[in-house]
Amino acid sequence: MVSDANAAEIERRRLEEAAADSAEIDRTPVRTYWQLVRQRFLKHRLAVIAVIVLIVLATYAIVVPTVTGDAWRETQLFRDDAPPELFNEDGDLTFAVLGYNEQGQNLFARLGKATQTSLTIGLAAVVLIVMIGVFIGSIAGYVGGWIDNLLMRFVDVMLSLPGLFIILMITAFFGQGNVWVVIIAIGLTGWTTAARLVRAEFLSLREVDYVQAARALGASPQRIILRHMLPPALAPIVVAATLGIADSVVVESALSFLGFGIGRDGASLGTMLQNAREYFFSGPLKVLYPGVVLILIVLSASFLGDGLRDALDPRQRVEK
Amino acid sequence: MASYILRRTLQAIPILFGVAIISFAIVQLAPGSPIDRFRSPNVRPETLENLIRLYGLDRPVYEQFVNWFSTFVQFWRTDAWGYSLVDGRSVRDTVVDRMPATLLLGGTALIITIILAVPIGILAAVRQYSWADKAITTFATIGYAIPSFLLGLYIAYIGTVVFRGAFPGFGMVSLPGVEGRGTPLDVAWHMVLPVTSLAIQQIAGWSRYVRAKMLEVLNQDYVRTAKAKGLSAAKVTYKHALRNALIPVITLFGLTLPGLLAGAVITESIFSWPGLGFLGLQAVTQRDYPLVLAFVMVGGFGVVLGNLLADVLYGVADPRIKY
Repeated sequence: MVSDANAAEIERRRLEEAAADSAEIDRTPVRTYWQLVRQRFLKHRLAVIAVIVLIVLATYAIVVPTVTGDAWRETQLFRDDAPPELFNEDGDLTFAVLGYNEQGQNLFARLGKATQTSLTIGLAAVVLIVMIGVFIGSIAGYVGGWIDNLLMRFVDVMLSLPGLFIILMITAFFGQGNVWVVIIAIGLTGWTTAARLVRAEFLSLREVDYVQAARALGASPQRIILRHMLPPALAPIVVAATLGIADSVVVESALSFLGFGIGRDGASLGTMLQNAREYFFSGPLKVLYPGVVLILIVLSASFLGDGLRDALDPRQRVEK
Repeated sequence: MASYILRRTLQAIPILFGVAIISFAIVQLAPGSPIDRFRSPNVRPETLENLIRLYGLDRPVYEQFVNWFSTFVQFWRTDAWGYSLVDGRSVRDTVVDRMPATLLLGGTALIITIILAVPIGILAAVRQYSWADKAITTFATIGYAIPSFLLGLYIAYIGTVVFRGAFPGFGMVSLPGVEGRGTPLDVAWHMVLPVTSLAIQQIAGWSRYVRAKMLEVLNQDYVRTAKAKGLSAAKVTYKHALRNALIPVITLFGLTLPGLLAGAVITESIFSWPGLGFLGLQAVTQRDYPLVLAFVMVGGFGVVLGNLLADVLYGVADPRIKY
C-alpha cells in the first residue's frame, strides 16, 4: 500500500513537472529569422546611429533641393560671402543658414544638392557593381571548371589595375562631366569583391543537398540560381553593397574634386571642396561643411555594413 | 623556395599581359584620335595621313597592340615606351626622372608609419579597453574613413592657413630666387605636409591591423602558458607575442608597394609634388596616351610585385609556411 501511494505521488510530481516544462516552452516566444535580425541589429549601437544619420542625410538631400529649388546655383553677386541668415532683408525664407559662398550661392541649398548628387551617384554605382558582380560571380561559381578559372584570372587582372587611375582615364576620355560615365566607370572597376563573394557562396552551395535535389528534379540552371542559390547568398551581397556605398561616394567626390567627375555646372561634395579650396583664406568653413557630410556618409555606411554583417548572419546568437 | 619564386613570377606574366590589354583597350576605345591635336586648317591632309602612317594608326588594332607591347617590354631602350605627345620626350626617361620624388615621399611616409603604427597598435592591444585603446581605435577608425583627398585638403589648410604658411603646400623645392632652394633642408620642409597626410592614413590602417593581430596572438594558449610559468609580462608581450603578431604585418608591405612605386595620385596632386602620380594625372588631362599607358603598366607592375613580395617574405618570416 505504502509503496503504491509513493508510486502515485511520484507519478503525480512527474506529470506536474512535465506540465511546467511545456508551459515554459510555450512562454518562450517563437522568433522568426527577421525578428532575430532586428534584435541583433539593435544591439549594435553604432549601426543604429548610422541608420539615423543616413536617414537624416537622405531627407536633407531630398527635401532641401526640392524646397529651395534653384537656389543652389543661383549667383547673387551682391551677397558674396554673406553671413548665415534664415530670412533675407525682404523677409523671404532663404534657408541660408550656412551663409553664402564667394559667388553668392546659398551654401545650405548647395550642400543639399551636392549631397543628393553624391548619394545618387554612389547608390547607382553600387547597383551596377552588384549587378555585374552577381552576374560574373554566379556564372563562375555555378559553372565552375575552366570558365571559373578564366573569370577569376580576369578578376586578378582587374585587381592589379590602379583602380582610381583607370576611373580617371575612363571619365577623362569618354565624356568628362557626364554623370553616367562616372557611374559606369565606378561600376566597371568596382565589381570584383562582389563577384568573389558570390562565387565563394555558390561554390559551397552547389554541393548542398537541396540544390542537388533541385537539379535531380530537372530544374533549369536559371531556376536553381535565382530561386535556390541566390537567396542564401544575399546576406553577404547586401553587406558588401552597403560597404560599397562608402567607396563609391568617396570615388565620385575624389573624381569631382580632381575635375574629372561631374562638371562645374553640377554640385557634388567633390566640386564643392574643390571650389572651397580656391578660397581657403576667405572662407575656411566652406571646406568644413562638405567634408563633414562626406565623412558622415562614409562612417555611417561602414558602421551600417558592420551591423548588417552581424545581424544577418544566422549563426550569430542573441545574448540576453 | 627558388622554384616557388620562379613559379609565382611566371604566374605574374599573364596578369601583366591582361593589364596591358585592358589599358590598351580603354585608350583604343576612347573617342578621337591621337593625331587630333595636329588638326588645324594650316595642316594639309597629306601631312595628317603621313602622321597616321607614322604612328601606325592605319594598322589593325591587334597589330598595333602587338607592336606596342613587344616594344614596351624592352624597357632598357630609351624609346621603348614611346614619346610623349605633349613635349616629345621619351616616356621612359620622364618616368625614370619622376621616380625618385615619388620614392622619397612614399618611402618617408612608410618609415614614419612603421615607427609609429607598430607601437601604437601594440599599446592598444596590451591595454585593451583602456582609455588609450579607445582613443587609438577612434583615431584609427576616423583616419581610415576619411578620404585621402579630404585629409590632404585639410592638412594643406592647416599648414598654409592655420600655421600661416609655416609649411609650404606646393611643390618640392622653393621658388627660384629663394635662399637655400633645393637643399635637403628645403626639400624636407616641403615634405612635411604631404608626408603627414600620407602617413596619417597609413598609420590608421596599420595600427588597426597590428592591434587586431596582437590581440589574436595574446589570446593563444602558448601566451597563457608563458604567463603561467612565471615569465615577466614584458617578456611575454615583446618576445613571445610580438614576434608572431608582426608576421602578418608583412602583407601590408605588399599592399603599400604599388602606392610607393606609382605614387599617390591624389596626395601628389593636392601638394603639386613632382612625382609619378602627379605626372599620371597630368597625362590623363592632356590625353598623353603613351604616358598614360606607361603609368598604368607601372602601377600594375607595382601591384603584382607587391603581392609576390608579400607572399615570399611571409614564407621567410613564418617557418610554418611550406612551399
